[in-house]
Amino acid sequence: MNPYVLATLLFSLGLGTTLTFASSHWLLAWMGLEINTLAIIPLMAQHNHPRAIEATTKYFLTQATAAAMLLFASLTNAWLTGQWDIQLMSHPLPTTLASLALALKIGLAPLHTWLPEVLQGLDLPTGLILSTWQKLAPLTLLLQLQPMNSSLLIILGLTSTLIGGWGGLNQTQLRKILAYSSTAHLGWMVLVLQFAPSLTFLTLIIYLTMTFSTFLTFNLNNSTTINTLATSWAKAPVISSLAPLMLLSLGGLPPLTGFMPKWLILQELTKQDLAPAATLAALSALLSLYFYLRLSYAMALTMAPNNLTGTLPWRLLPSQHSLPLAISMTASLSLLPLTPALTALFTL
Amino acid sequence: MLMVLTPTLMLVPTIWATPAKWLWPSALLHSLLIALASFTWFKNTAETGWAFLTPHMATDPLSSPLLVLTCWLLPLMILASQNHLSSEPLNRQRMYITLLTSLQIFLIMAFGATEMIMFYVMFEATLIPTLFLITRWGNQAERLNAGTYFLFYTLAGSLPLLVALLILQNNTGTLSLLTLPFSNPLLLLTCSDKMWWAGCLLAFLVKMPLYGVHLWLPKAHVEAPIAGSMILAAVLLKLGGYGMMRMLIMLESLTNELSYPFIIFALWGVIMTGSICLRQTDLKSLIAYSSVSHMGLVVGGILIQTPWGFTGALILMIAHGLTSSALFCLANTNYERTHTRTMVLARGLQMALPLMTAWWFIAALANLALPPLPNLMGELMIISSLLNWSWWTLALTGAGTLITAAYSLYMFIMTQRGPLPMHMITLDPSHSREHLLIALHLLPLILLILKPELVWGWAA
Amino acid sequence: MVNFLSFAREHWANILVPMGFVIGWYLDKQQDQKLTAFRNKSALYSRELKPGEELTWK
Repeated sequence: MNPYVLATLLFSLGLGTTLTFASSHWLLAWMGLEINTLAIIPLMAQHNHPRAIEATTKYFLTQATAAAMLLFASLTNAWLTGQWDIQLMSHPLPTTLASLALALKIGLAPLHTWLPEVLQGLDLPTGLILSTWQKLAPLTLLLQLQPMNSSLLIILGLTSTLIGGWGGLNQTQLRKILAYSSTAHLGWMVLVLQFAPSLTFLTLIIYLTMTFSTFLTFNLNNSTTINTLATSWAKAPVISSLAPLMLLSLGGLPPLTGFMPKWLILQELTKQDLAPAATLAALSALLSLYFYLRLSYAMALTMAPNNLTGTLPWRLLPSQHSLPLAISMTASLSLLPLTPALTALFTL
Repeated sequence: MLMVLTPTLMLVPTIWATPAKWLWPSALLHSLLIALASFTWFKNTAETGWAFLTPHMATDPLSSPLLVLTCWLLPLMILASQNHLSSEPLNRQRMYITLLTSLQIFLIMAFGATEMIMFYVMFEATLIPTLFLITRWGNQAERLNAGTYFLFYTLAGSLPLLVALLILQNNTGTLSLLTLPFSNPLLLLTCSDKMWWAGCLLAFLVKMPLYGVHLWLPKAHVEAPIAGSMILAAVLLKLGGYGMMRMLIMLESLTNELSYPFIIFALWGVIMTGSICLRQTDLKSLIAYSSVSHMGLVVGGILIQTPWGFTGALILMIAHGLTSSALFCLANTNYERTHTRTMVLARGLQMALPLMTAWWFIAALANLALPPLPNLMGELMIISSLLNWSWWTLALTGAGTLITAAYSLYMFIMTQRGPLPMHMITLDPSHSREHLLIALHLLPLILLILKPELVWGWAA
Repeated sequence: MVNFLSFAREHWANILVPMGFVIGWYLDKQQDQKLTAFRNKSALYSRELKPGEELTWK
């Protein structure tokens, strides 16, 4: 791709999200989302591969549906209440419609079915953008929708954590597994959204950090299936010995970073007398943990037999910069002791 | 508290900076020094019972024996692993010792925690090093299955515990072990309170393990390398008993009625797992099931909540920790020579390794609770406090003791006595390292006869 | 001298654990003094020690 075109696209990608961040008017927020979607479409289709094209089409269709629904919700809101302000949604109909549209946009179960299919068609860096940056704008809109239908959000959250765990169980493709993991994490965020928005924010940041390091690790090893992970110890021994910790952190085991959002969310839920929902969410994390555990088995805890040349690639320099991976890996393993500082940092 | 914790932390850079030649001796020496430093925890003169206070950690008579046992186990694990790691590359050996050290760090912080949530986090944190020990360093391909069982059994029990603890914090405002005993008793009447009660104990019952949720344990023991089996049997199971004793303070009013099924399961488990041991062919599996059987007694002793029950449980936990760890070491010395865990294939070893037979004899006698070993003291206190609670328990505990004696002798006779099979002519003689290893297990056990107050817990 | 240098290069790591012990011991002592000071100041516990009486908190 021409670097000028790439720069324009990345700029628009940033512009769309920033526009949504900055707007209090529904129409502008919607425009930001549209710019964002349209900017990533050429990026997704840049490798002229049938599966990439298919993924792009699917992505375009779902995002267009979600955007249309969102536009419809905001128009209904304007029609019913006479104003366009995002934070002043008072009628339940447009609020529910808008939150469903945003759920479709970020891929919350049961509106998640497009996400694994789309992610499977992309290369890892674009997949990284899709599962991190593209979640930001819709989630900020969700955060601003104040008087929300509470049971809808809890149902969305619980189904997401459950289906995110369930769906990933029988996958062998890393990108699909990461898509389901994204659904499960978003479920946790939505679960606590109405009680403590700052926790949603914190969870989002930590999820982004962990996903970032996971994608970079897989990209470093150039692997998209579980089988290709088996030789990663020969390519990057240190990374592959840290990778199981990172995956378990993604699964939320203490004393790793991933436990922190789960802990705080469970605490908030029990404070709101939602102990059954909290228990269900906590146990659904076990489902996700199962496939993270399987990835760690494949990656570091077993050793694939290899011939002599197969064990040599660690001598070659990796093509990827190691600093971002080092920083995000450190953050995604060892932030738990800093919980008080981080909660103070992300208080809205 | 930090007096032991900081040297343990510093052990990690020491392991990585020591030259290859000195790696094992220096790791052993330093961990042994740390274990010696931990003996100071026995000297507890505080009026409140809590001593060695730091902002987040402290010891009391209940936790100090377990803490010292934890610190004592690290040098023994290092000593035991030396042979089977000798063929690994250097960095992996360092990694392995680091893993064992990290386990000790987490365990010290778990037993020393004065806050239930901190205990919970560290309780869970021990899962990761143990999982890696089993799944990375085990021998057979089944180790992955065993690791999965281990992780998911424990987590399925302990995630409800997290929610239960958070509910408790909402109700009482604190989870500090220093203040919880003095908070107002909770009014527990509704059905959801009973669920909460179960949530509080389930994690520990799975960890113990209670008969019925014990399936992960024999798998984990059989597949784990020697250090994994040792730490699992000696200390990790005791996290369950320790946690239960801490939790039961808050569960006062409900435990009287709700504990019946669990006590029945525990005592029934003593008989059942003992019977499984009687027809066991796999040596490590036998020792693992014998752990389940002993832990059944401990669960029974804890759940009836009498001072004698608690004291007996703590004594039995410590004594069993040393005994079962010694038995696993002995089994491993056999395994390293014969490369089989099947007892039919490795029998009659008295002819080949006569001094080892002496150790086997002492360890088997300790396992069947011969007087005057602390094992007997623990079992007697638990049995008599159970008897005081209900006459009928004597049928189960008495039969359990008989079966324990039977399978301990079965294990001894099967492995040591009889003619040496023809295929085992060229065995290595026992190393001094191995004799030292078993001696360091059994000497503390014998010395505890002289001063059992050290492991009496609150009754002291 | 050379002998000493090579000895130090080979065995310097052995100082780490004792150093950790000393640091931990020092921090423990600091903490004890803090708690003791608190106890002497608190209205509930403050009293004169009898001559020859040992401190009960350590």
